[in-house]
Amino acid sequence: MPFVQEILKHRSLSIVGLEKNTGKTVCLNYILRRLNELEVPVGVTSIGVDGEQVDSVFATAKPEVTLYEGTRFITSEQHYMKRQTVSVLEYVDSRRTALGPLVTARVLVRGKVLLSGAATTGVLRGQIGQLGNAGCKLAIVDGALSRLSLASPTVTDCMVLATGAAVSANLKQLVAKTRFLHSMICLDEVSPTLRESLGQVEQGLWGVDEEGVPHDLGIASVFLIGSAGGDLLRYGHTLFASGAVSDRLLKALTPLGKDITLVARDFTKLFITPEAYNDFTRKGNRLMMLQRSKLIAVTLNPTSPQGFLLDSRATCDALSEALQTPVYDVMKIEQ
Amino acid sequence: MRIKELIKGDAGFQHVVDNMELMSAAGRRKMLDTEFSTDAAWLDGEWNRLDEAIAAVREYKYKKPYIDLRHCLMCLHDLRGTLASLANHTPLNEVELFEVKNLAQLCRTAAGSIDGLGLTALLPLPNLDDVFALLDPDHTGIANFYIYDSYDPRLAPLRKELSALQIAGNDPERIAALLAEQNEIQSEVCVSLSDKLVPWTPTISEALEQMAYTDFLLAKAELAIAWNLTRPVLGEHIEYKSLINPRLKKRNESTGLRYQPVDITIGHGVTLITGANMAGKTVLLKSIGTAQCMVQCGFHAPAEKVETMLFDGVATSIGDDQDEMNGLSSYAAEIIKISDIVKRSRTEHLLVLIDEPARTTNPTEGKAIVQAVIGMMQQASSATLITTHYGQLGGDCRRLRVRGFVEDMSDMPLNPRNINLFIDYSLTEDSSGEVPHEALRIASILGCDKELIDKATGYVNK
Repeated sequence: MPFVQEILKHRSLSIVGLEKNTGKTVCLNYILRRLNELEVPVGVTSIGVDGEQVDSVFATAKPEVTLYEGTRFITSEQHYMKRQTVSVLEYVDSRRTALGPLVTARVLVRGKVLLSGAATTGVLRGQIGQLGNAGCKLAIVDGALSRLSLASPTVTDCMVLATGAAVSANLKQLVAKTRFLHSMICLDEVSPTLRESLGQVEQGLWGVDEEGVPHDLGIASVFLIGSAGGDLLRYGHTLFASGAVSDRLLKALTPLGKDITLVARDFTKLFITPEAYNDFTRKGNRLMMLQRSKLIAVTLNPTSPQGFLLDSRATCDALSEALQTPVYDVMKIEQ
Repeated sequence: MRIKELIKGDAGFQHVVDNMELMSAAGRRKMLDTEFSTDAAWLDGEWNRLDEAIAAVREYKYKKPYIDLRHCLMCLHDLRGTLASLANHTPLNEVELFEVKNLAQLCRTAAGSIDGLGLTALLPLPNLDDVFALLDPDHTGIANFYIYDSYDPRLAPLRKELSALQIAGNDPERIAALLAEQNEIQSEVCVSLSDKLVPWTPTISEALEQMAYTDFLLAKAELAIAWNLTRPVLGEHIEYKSLINPRLKKRNESTGLRYQPVDITIGHGVTLITGANMAGKTVLLKSIGTAQCMVQCGFHAPAEKVETMLFDGVATSIGDDQDEMNGLSSYAAEIIKISDIVKRSRTEHLLVLIDEPARTTNPTEGKAIVQAVIGMMQQASSATLITTHYGQLGGDCRRLRVRGFVEDMSDMPLNPRNINLFIDYSLTEDSSGEVPHEALRIASILGCDKELIDKATGYVNK
């Protein structure tokens, strides 16, 4: 069976979609079923709301999340009340969400549940730790909408990327969009020594000297970068952006010359278009990551909520070739 | 008035609240709901309880019962909503029943720790063992919860069948029917358990409130130790030895600046405080306001000696409330505040703290307003402290002057950053009616434009 053994080498997994309706939940159900067969104790939570019976944007039928005996899950009080399983409450968080407090429970008789979770990665990190302490070998975080932040290597150890016809019904566009995100996820990591010295930096844009020591460039926001110009390179050609990397930052750096290495924290901090990225790299500059996410697999949902259906085989082949990594049709692996 | 309202005032009480290391939301609520008390007997009792708590914290700070108790309080959830539902005979759901069970277990654990601290007589907790037993029919002893099979004989066979069908996965209609039936039975059990819990509602509430109070009292004890606070004595006047402004002291210590505590005695009537700029007059008013709020909310206070009397309230006009959005200028905002104070003082016994009244209007009328305020407050039963830069104000009120700038107080060369080393913040009686004229000298030390200072000096000497 594909990629489940690889997941087991990690403590936490996120499932993120390029778009809504790219088959994250089908993928999650597949992984949960396989892990149940392997008798691995798992915990499941989500960022935002997931597991609705009917998609709240397109009103299409959505698969529910099936949990097996012994699985721990975190969800909101209101969704807990709608569960179709028998389960024991183990913990109730004092923080409240719009759907009541978040509760942790253990499944006694398998069945379907609605997952909803914390809205911030800080709380999510705490929950992953909590599931680990309760004895879960693996904590799985299901994504909501097109949020990527949960896939940050500071939150989860590894990720599965879901793509599909919902991204674009045009095969070329689908491949291009998926390939770009995939290439961002796979950007090279900096050396462990540099990672250590930059890891302490909290905000702003920093110049890194030859010794690998960061110096604050005094630019708290990318909106203030305009007048700085070549002065940005006064400590050397390596720069570290501790927060978001946007097109605006790349466009400010591109004319400064070549051999600039811009280091971002991880791929979830990148808010850039392929055009700006290509302009930046064509000049001989490069983008690196402080920490790279471990991508386990790419899955494809060939159907879109508007009713398009892509040729599964041809799309998987085209994506596999473009990404140089196996791509699985979630509808087929689930069968 | 409660702490919730006091922290919005300008006396600086917010800083005290911010430094309370409370473990639970319920403890925080307990603190914010505490009244500014005028009941000497209640305050005396509260200070006694605080003394006992301080002794226990000093002895057990890093020992097991204390650490366990604080951890227990950290897990405390504020179940007031759930308990209100119960009191209204609204059935609780599974999550709420879990919360009640969890509280019953916390209460038992906390009672054990409190006993270990020797504080059982001070902080007695009710016994909720029967509540726990009701929610733990299988005697697991742990605070997990679901509608156990043993609550209803129909549940075990139903769940057995459900489990078999789910594993086989081939009869969705029967599964749906079984789930619906299970939900029905679970609801019935929730109703019956809630009915049985109703008579316990007052006892569960008492446990919650008592644990919240425990959290609040321990946080007060921690603060008293950390800030070296002193138990107040009630008397006929206000007398502080080495009074401290906790917020400023903290800031000065963190920036390496000196902090000088101040001695002050005040009685009924008006005390006028004069002194140069930067001499700490505003801080002094805030220190006295903060200390009085602490005293009357049952805290210890930040001075080596604390003697004070009880007031109906602390009325302040400190700082600049200019608010363009409300259409109020600095002067308008201030004069409305002062007018309120004057009105209140006709019927209430207040501690009144007014910082440089009428400083933002023309000196002729401004001075007249200050004189009128002094005159009226002399007649009131309140104790009033007014700081001012106006000299030769009439009336027979008491005057204190901040000693202020002393050139040879330090060997260091004087500069704008260390000016605080050259200011003596202590107070002295002053019968002259004059005010210090040091504004230009201080401006010059602060490095202000020389031409500006020379010109101004010229005008003064004219």
